[in-house]
Amino acid sequence: MEFAELIKTPRVDNVVLHRPFYPAVEGTLCLTGHHLILSSRQDNTEELWLLHSNIDAIDKRFVGPLGTIIIKCKDFRIIQLDIPGMEECLNIASSIEALSTLDSITLMYPFFYRPMFEVVEDGWHSFLPEQEFELYSSATSEWRLSYVNKEFAVCPSYPPIVIVPKPIDDEALRKVATFRHGGRFPVLSYYHKKNGMVIMRSGQPLTGTNGRRCKEDEKLINATLRAGKRGYIIDTRSLNVAQQARAKGGGFEQEAHYPQWRRLHKSIERYPILQESLIKLVEACNDQTHNMDRWLGRLEASNWLTHIKEILTTACLAAQCIDREGASILIHGTEGTDSTLQVTSLAQIILEPRSRTIRGFEALIEREWLQAGHPFQQRCAQSAYCNSKQKWESPVFLLFLDCVWQILRQFPCSFEFNENFLIMLFEHAYASQFGTFLGNNESERCKLKLQQKTMSLWSWVNRPSELSKFTNPLFEANNLVIWPSVAPQSLQLWEGIFLRWNRSSKYLDEAYEEMVNIIEYNKELQAKVNVLRRQLAELETEDGMQESP
Amino acid sequence: MDEIEVSLTGSGRGPRSEVLAVGGGNSCETVRSLLPRGLLNSCPAGVASCPASSCPFRSPRWPRLTLQESVLLLGPRPTPSAMEFSELIRTGRAQAKLLRGPEVPPLHGTLCVTGHHLLLLPGPQATSDLWLLLLRSVDSIEKRVSGDSGTITLRCKDLRVLQLDIEGVEATRDIARSIEALSSLESVITSFPFFYRPKGLRLGDAWHFHPPERYYKRVARETNAWRLSEVNEDFSLCPSYPRAVIVPRAVDDDALARCARFRQGGRFPVLSYHHAPSGTVLLRSSQPLTGPQKRHCAEDEELLWAVLAGARPGARGFILDTRSAQAAKQARVTGGGTEARAAYPGWKRLHRPLERGRPLQESFVRLVEACGYLEQSTDCWRSRLEACHWLGHVKEALSTACLAAQAMEREGACVLVHGAEGTDSTLLVTSLAQLILDPSSRTVAGFQELVEREWIQAGHPFQLRCAHSAFSHARPKHEAPTFLLFLDCVWQLGRQFPLSLEFGEGLLLALFEHAYASPFGTFLCSSEKERCLCEVRTRTHSLWSGLNQPKEQRKLRNPLYVPSPLAIWPSVEPQSLRLWQGLFLRWTRPNLQR
Repeated sequence: MEFAELIKTPRVDNVVLHRPFYPAVEGTLCLTGHHLILSSRQDNTEELWLLHSNIDAIDKRFVGPLGTIIIKCKDFRIIQLDIPGMEECLNIASSIEALSTLDSITLMYPFFYRPMFEVVEDGWHSFLPEQEFELYSSATSEWRLSYVNKEFAVCPSYPPIVIVPKPIDDEALRKVATFRHGGRFPVLSYYHKKNGMVIMRSGQPLTGTNGRRCKEDEKLINATLRAGKRGYIIDTRSLNVAQQARAKGGGFEQEAHYPQWRRLHKSIERYPILQESLIKLVEACNDQTHNMDRWLGRLEASNWLTHIKEILTTACLAAQCIDREGASILIHGTEGTDSTLQVTSLAQIILEPRSRTIRGFEALIEREWLQAGHPFQQRCAQSAYCNSKQKWESPVFLLFLDCVWQILRQFPCSFEFNENFLIMLFEHAYASQFGTFLGNNESERCKLKLQQKTMSLWSWVNRPSELSKFTNPLFEANNLVIWPSVAPQSLQLWEGIFLRWNRSSKYLDEAYEEMVNIIEYNKELQAKVNVLRRQLAELETEDGMQESP
Repeated sequence: MDEIEVSLTGSGRGPRSEVLAVGGGNSCETVRSLLPRGLLNSCPAGVASCPASSCPFRSPRWPRLTLQESVLLLGPRPTPSAMEFSELIRTGRAQAKLLRGPEVPPLHGTLCVTGHHLLLLPGPQATSDLWLLLLRSVDSIEKRVSGDSGTITLRCKDLRVLQLDIEGVEATRDIARSIEALSSLESVITSFPFFYRPKGLRLGDAWHFHPPERYYKRVARETNAWRLSEVNEDFSLCPSYPRAVIVPRAVDDDALARCARFRQGGRFPVLSYHHAPSGTVLLRSSQPLTGPQKRHCAEDEELLWAVLAGARPGARGFILDTRSAQAAKQARVTGGGTEARAAYPGWKRLHRPLERGRPLQESFVRLVEACGYLEQSTDCWRSRLEACHWLGHVKEALSTACLAAQAMEREGACVLVHGAEGTDSTLLVTSLAQLILDPSSRTVAGFQELVEREWIQAGHPFQLRCAHSAFSHARPKHEAPTFLLFLDCVWQLGRQFPLSLEFGEGLLLALFEHAYASPFGTFLCSSEKERCLCEVRTRTHSLWSGLNQPKEQRKLRNPLYVPSPLAIWPSVEPQSLRLWQGLFLRWTRPNLQR
């Protein structure tokens, strides 16, 4: 299929663009296969350069011959285009609609994007599982790399290489995979070097109504415990929901068969509910009625902050088991691809100082979200403005980023990255010129040959010129576990995402700049002080030498 | 060995200061023995023993005291044989453990109650300093006894909650009773500011920093249409105004006297702020006493006419009534009312209802209650936050101030603000409008001047409004957190414009604390008249001189400040307003790093 077929009117003059924080501007609208471009005719500069894949929904209105298209983006921005001529307007609208909902991944922009920058480090090879494993293998010999999933036959949503307990051979893993939802047998997610405890994750066990068992599964899980130690299985569903899952072939670990493990149920909402919550929240944020009670009421009714609290609470519980109780944990919900990953990744943010650095956080995203098989393609296909009742969309990843932001807000000096880094990740998960977030798992990414055909997000981000935008000037490496407060008073709406287009951040940005300047100046002065101190010390020793003889 | 400074007055005059060494064996007795005794002997109105030179009530310049005023100044029982503090202190000392919240280690030591303070002297092996709490800052006290020990929970006016575990049931009861009695003393002249003599400060300093005369000098540079009137020199015209006020040059003092009779509490329209760029002014007053017969006052009408005549040519005027049209109408029954449109040509009336009085206090109480429950669901917290309406009040106050500022800057109109008494929501609006428009009021000095001029001198009854904070069990009579609401609005401005205020959250927190309980005299009393009667200016230290010491200044300044000559227009969309965590969650969430 050619894009040209979808573009009936490639160019319209005298279009007026309205967007947040800028005065309306008149110019020429052009549609290309992947972009909507508006350039003002006077000086031929682009005023707007919008990816079609960033468009979540459009509305059109007509007043006489003047048509208006309202474009709602996946990053929650709302743009308005006034287009003279009804036919042009209709053509543009139908083209945008078609181009923003292309079915085939290989037609998406990342397959066409050719970077204008020099690639210093290929992001596709920045975070290899083998390298990650090396970090652990120096500390423990209880784990090994397994290539059992090399062909993606054992578990389609796992990467080819996983970390498993050393005593368990690949044959046993194959058997365990048949006992776990989607073949997601328990694998290592995090090794806590301080006390050797681990976080594992998996899919739910397929016990079904007749209480099926799997000896290999029991053996695998027990093999991770040291002698005399106990472990916790954190189920991200309530007991009730977990019991109901048995009717559909799922279930949970029976305590009798896993005697050293204690099961804890923590209820985190499943993805369809989260999507509704997002839609309500964004609606509330766009509410123009200027009524305080109504705003607070709608904010509460969206339940967004309740979900944040649930997720953070569970992550804290997991971290507590590891750090305070000295116990290993296994985390799963149903599929093990959503709430499970939220909990394992947030627990690592709490426990592991490395995951609070830029590099470490990228590695975490790569390991715990991309490799671990969070279905980005499905979850991020549409955002908060989508009208069609799609089944798979859900802001699972956005909730994770929001939780990280809450911790960042409470510990502003403990993170190497700033809020902009999180916002950037949110944007690219939903619409991007890079291939990183395409596909639902490694298997799909391999088939799409993303490594060969597209550019990795990390290749772009990790260049010094980009990194400087994402670096937190307040960062001071903190080697401690950081315990966030989950009291409802401590959790706040993430303005940088949800009120980003409603209120100009001009003054906040200026303040941020000023803060950076002060910190830079302070560093300079410190450096001067050090030089002077050294000079003084040298002079004193010289004096001493002159006096002593 | 630690040093604390305890100061005392001999017989109500000639304060002297002594440095007391604490930390030795019987230092408690030392502290007690230094308690001021017989202070009140010096001066209940007109008693013979009163040395004429120092007694404020003798001078013929002073008007007679009303009953309410004498109760205020001297406490409810002004008897010649006035009680001494020592009568209220039943137990001098007890062993106690002090818990100050989850993140701070407990303190062990000897607890003593003095006339104005609760002291905890750490044991000999302890490394920490002496701990000191101003009794006036205790809002409510709760005691429990079990076995042979007791627990006292103190809830302070700055919203802090402290717990004291005390050895001995009798000691617990006695200490609780003493704290209760001493923290609720109503007399002004026996309050701590009259005894506080800090090192490095001189009495009388800084009191003359911000009088109306100083502001008039600035106005006079900008326009010729206004004059400084001393018509209220002896406070007889308006007891809640300062001696000098700024009025239109065209109106003489006799006319002002007649205006005063037409306005509630004598608060005739005076200048609050002159906006030089647009040549317009902000005025404030109280409601006109039109009453059911719709009374007129020609002088009042002339005064407002003169305002328009003195402003830029062709200026219109807006009367911003901080009550709803309905409430303003109803006020006529009790003698109040609003300006009749026909009588004030050129002026247009707008109604912007702002909450005041008891509902505002209740909103504050409910908000603080909600903030105290840490173990609750998000839903529960959000609905409590919504139910207390505090943020709604913040929004209304800011919107009304924006309206006033907009009328001046954008429409080039003069604005008169009043509600009923003109001492609460009126001041909220006029002071916020100045912050929006006037860059100089956003500096540290300018903001202090603003608070002094628009709140303290303008007669906001701090003594009544800030008698209790959010924890008091007593039914609120005159309490209302109007000033706190003002500070919250300023905080919202600072949050939206992080570069525009020279001061930081620290100054706002300090003003909140000192308005409710302070060793300084600045927020004492409810009007200039009362402050004169109590000789606050000569016998207490000014908060401004305390705050303007270099070591304090560092904590109060905003390092990001960049002066800007522009108006700052805050967003008043509900989405843009936030709970002031630094104040309301200050003690429950100490781990917020920034």
